[in-house]
Amino acid sequence: MSGASPTTSDAPILEVSDLTTQFHTRAGVVKAVDGVSFSLHKGEIIGLVGESGSGKSVTGFSLIGLVDPPGRVVSGSVKLDGQELVGLSPAALRKVRGARIAMVFQDPMMTLNPVLTIGQQMQLALNAHEKLSKSAARARSTDALTRVGIPDAEARLDAYPHQFSGGMRQRVAIAIALLHGTRVIVADEPTTALDVSIQAQILSEMRELAREMGTALVWISHDLSTVSALADRILVMYAGRIVEEGPTAQVLRAPRHPYTAGLLRSLPAMAEPGTDLEQIPGTTPSLLNLPQGCPFRPRCDRATDLCSEAPPMTPETGRGYRCHHPLLDGTPA
Amino acid sequence: MSSFLLKRLLQGVVIMAAMSVIVFAGVYAIGNPLDVLIPPEATQDVRERTIARFGLDKSLVEQYFLFISNLLKGDLGLSYIYNEPVLSLIGNRLPATLELVLTAVLGATLIGVPLGIYAGYKPHGFAARAIMAISILGFSVPTFWVGLILILTFAVSLGWLPSGGRGETVEFLGIEWSVLTLNGWSHLVLPAINLALFKLAIMVRLARAGTREVMLSDTVKFARAAGLSEMTILSRHVLKLISIPIVTVFGLELASTLAFAVVTETIFSWPGVGKLIIDSIKNLDRPVMVAYLILTAGLFVTINLCVDIAYALLDPRLRRGRAE
Repeated sequence: MSGASPTTSDAPILEVSDLTTQFHTRAGVVKAVDGVSFSLHKGEIIGLVGESGSGKSVTGFSLIGLVDPPGRVVSGSVKLDGQELVGLSPAALRKVRGARIAMVFQDPMMTLNPVLTIGQQMQLALNAHEKLSKSAARARSTDALTRVGIPDAEARLDAYPHQFSGGMRQRVAIAIALLHGTRVIVADEPTTALDVSIQAQILSEMRELAREMGTALVWISHDLSTVSALADRILVMYAGRIVEEGPTAQVLRAPRHPYTAGLLRSLPAMAEPGTDLEQIPGTTPSLLNLPQGCPFRPRCDRATDLCSEAPPMTPETGRGYRCHHPLLDGTPA
Repeated sequence: MSSFLLKRLLQGVVIMAAMSVIVFAGVYAIGNPLDVLIPPEATQDVRERTIARFGLDKSLVEQYFLFISNLLKGDLGLSYIYNEPVLSLIGNRLPATLELVLTAVLGATLIGVPLGIYAGYKPHGFAARAIMAISILGFSVPTFWVGLILILTFAVSLGWLPSGGRGETVEFLGIEWSVLTLNGWSHLVLPAINLALFKLAIMVRLARAGTREVMLSDTVKFARAAGLSEMTILSRHVLKLISIPIVTVFGLELASTLAFAVVTETIFSWPGVGKLIIDSIKNLDRPVMVAYLILTAGLFVTINLCVDIAYALLDPRLRRGRAE
């Protein structure tokens, strides 16, 4: 695995192994990301799913080296095209960010600068990695906006963010992320703040863009149904760990981990019309004070004494799960 | 935008009209200028002629309308004391105040804002703590005391700089300026520092608070994710986002310092309008007081209008008509 050369066609673009990010606070050490491993290939879309506080956003920020203090990546490795990003100097990391790995955030109203035009913001992002003349920057920006489906892109460069609708703003953010032909985009809940109909549009456009440009996506979401429409593979995260992973269809059809099964049962689309939605009892545990063993144990109806020991990742072909009592019959119990 | 400007202009006119009534009535209420104007041993005849000459035999309302109609003709009356047109009296001294105040407020802004941004960017560093500690001093130490200490240190003990006056001046556009000569600068430095200290502290605090807030925002995160350098983020994103409160305070400080640089001007015997107004109050020189207060009100209205225009230039969301 570690010796994979970046030229091999099936070598992953992004290889994350045993990534651990902790926040050292006065109350103690918060293990927000606890030994996360996965790999991402060219053009692949991975859905990273979990409840609030499961560590999925921190995982995203750890990938691009932007964890806010007091948090920091304490161990593990993130390899982008074979280059190790963990432990890189801030200056070297800055050169990677935006050029080879980019990030898109939840609320485009908050991420775009309200007092700069779209064109100015795109030019800043371009000049961060390339020396371009003003006209060349405009041409590149126009192309990028056209690609994400913004009509009359040239004229819109002089508009300010508040003159765009929510969906259009997010398209602008995506266009900025794509400016340098980025290989990997980490998208942190990018459609959560949008209308459902706009969500669907953006999802299908992102899918197409990823195919077309060979950009790989890490799509972070709390919403299994959004991710299921988009992702090739799903990683389910709980309390800082990946508890189940596999191809989208398999994970959805035959979840192995009781937590995944619980998430699926709580989806409105999966329930009988007219019946109450099922919930997973309890709440996500505090990352400051995780229960010993399997962190899902207190909320799990299948838990036994065995679960006080942390279950290892059980690999199956193309997928894996962390559970002593997996659902092996294939139906969501 | 133009309708907004028009509205603001009209508001300004109303404010000026109200101010003129208040000022005129207020000044009329304090003391009788006759005792100053006429020596006690003057004859009744001289007395009456003087009263008639200054229009003091008319009623308050009549005097007010006379004043306003003269004002609209550009005539603010004659000083009782100097027997000179008030306008030229103030006009001769305004450049001195103008250059002192602009140097102080611009200096405070140009130094204070970068210091504040730095302190907000690295709030836990030693330098940031030092900057904040000094800014507390700037707030809490009274201006007159700092002025005296500056004179004692740099003029009396060290003898580096003069303790008062404007020094050499050079005529430019028909007005005498100190900022154009080296000797003028040596006279300007101490009073400018004295005036700037408090404003510097405000600018540091404003810039720091704004920067701290903006640095935590998603805008900065997104800019970092796009690979922008920290310097670019601070100079292009942060500076523009924190500029609105800074421009507001800049305008207010500029106006109030222009009007009330009295303490510093007195300490450093700087021949500006501050000294003029104090003298005119002492001597009950009514026309000077009234003209000065009305000019000050006009100054505030004008500067506030400029600040409003600056808002619209800085924040596109405040520009009407173009949005959506």
